[in-house]
Amino acid sequence: MSAAVIPALSVRGLRAGYGSGGDIVCGIDADVAPESILAVIGPNGSGKSTFVKTLAGLLRPRDGAIAVTGRDVTQLSPARRVASGLAYVPQEANVFANLTIRENLKLATEFLRGRAGIGPAQQAQVMALFPEIAARPKLLAGNLSGGQRQMLAFACALLSNPEVLLLDEPSAGLSPKFVGETMEAVARVRESGVTIVLVEQNVAAALRVADDVMVLVAGRNSLRAPAREIAVADLAGLFFAKAG
Amino acid sequence: MIAQLVLNGFVTGLLLALPAVALTLMFGILKFPNFAVGAMLTFGAYAAFVANSLFGMPLAVAAVVAAAAMAAVAMLADVLVFARLRDRGSITLLVASMGVALVLENICRFSFGNATRNFVFEVARPTRWHGVRINQEQLITAVAVIVCVILLQLLLHASPLGRAMRAVADNPSLAAVRGIERQTIVRITWCIAGCLTALAGVLAGLDRAVDPLLGWNYQIPIFAAAILGGLGSPTGAVVGAIVIGLAEELSSLVVPINYRQIVSFAVILVLLLVRTQGLFGRRAVRK
Repeated sequence: MSAAVIPALSVRGLRAGYGSGGDIVCGIDADVAPESILAVIGPNGSGKSTFVKTLAGLLRPRDGAIAVTGRDVTQLSPARRVASGLAYVPQEANVFANLTIRENLKLATEFLRGRAGIGPAQQAQVMALFPEIAARPKLLAGNLSGGQRQMLAFACALLSNPEVLLLDEPSAGLSPKFVGETMEAVARVRESGVTIVLVEQNVAAALRVADDVMVLVAGRNSLRAPAREIAVADLAGLFFAKAG
Repeated sequence: MIAQLVLNGFVTGLLLALPAVALTLMFGILKFPNFAVGAMLTFGAYAAFVANSLFGMPLAVAAVVAAAAMAAVAMLADVLVFARLRDRGSITLLVASMGVALVLENICRFSFGNATRNFVFEVARPTRWHGVRINQEQLITAVAVIVCVILLQLLLHASPLGRAMRAVADNPSLAAVRGIERQTIVRITWCIAGCLTALAGVLAGLDRAVDPLLGWNYQIPIFAAAILGGLGSPTGAVVGAIVIGLAEELSSLVVPINYRQIVSFAVILVLLLVRTQGLFGRRAVRK
């Protein structure tokens, strides 16, 4: 990356953990280039989900800084971060199950007054990416299948016209067919100009769409490389090696 | 006789509906059963008594003042007590609400003593209709509660604020990453709960008299109504309240009238045994 390009997402020395326990995220540095996909992979319990939760603001960082397109968002509440261009799709419970599809879509932008680029045009563009959602607006989101729910969650996150989209294991619990469709959707979203941080257990699926890969082991960044230079076979050694 | 009991029960149920809806809203959004709901009702009644008897306002105006005052007090309680304990779990909040209840009740007791007070309000002759006696307080209660419930339903289902409230009740952290500030929604919920309980206090004071234990008379039926309706469901709370009101009145056919409260306990007991989600609880999608 050239020095002149401001990274879409920049993380410096990020530390975070729960309650009075030890750090789960132990000092992560990362820059994500605009309109690229960074896959964050690593063994179970390596702190991947905690890392994205901290980026989204659901967990307060103990130390470090987070910037979106050069603007510091470290001190902002989750709600304010969305308004600053950082959207997040959680792994589970990523739609309001007891609200209808239409209400879910409305809520995606209703409380983001002042965010540039949201409106009918943006909505039309997002709905074009996920045509299957618009068909049944009165259905309760909780009655959707896993794959459709994931698409609704993507659509809601994208309606905020984010610079950076954080995805926490979008393929979790989906059948292989839907994993493929979900990854295609991720690639389509990137093509529409959004930078993506993709946390994934399904390494093979993630490597197919990612530009860069970051391997987390025990809360530390143990490898950062372009996706094409990584072979799945190499990862086993990294996953099971001690951090450091 | 039965028609009269049904009418009385219906109106009693409507009176319970306001605090039951407040309780269920607070449970949905704040995630704890607020035991101060009875004391909030008492406090609202005293606030209306002050505005009505001491400052000479008409009762309708006094009710609005009481609602505003209770909303402010509820917000203050959130700032001073509940906000600080928000992440400590529902049992801690429940115990804190008992403390707040004692404080509110004793503010009334210290200020006005234990004697019963009455509003300055012209008593009108009851109307008779097909042998059923309908008194003025019952009409006022019915109209006031039905208007409130309709307004609340509109707020919850046809306004951005209502959507945000339901979103926070459904999934608070997802609501946060959709740009909804939980704190703001929580404060608004306290305000609405304050208004509803204070109005119920005025109606209860009109029905009985204002005394420091006014709210306690309603505490168990309010909980029974909200649980019966399915905690978290405002529509359920209204239906639950009417069922409890009717059951309490009709129980006087079979048990002595001072055992009325047994009905609420029995309803809670039966629900705990056979249908913990209440009447409308199942409609919530959980998967």
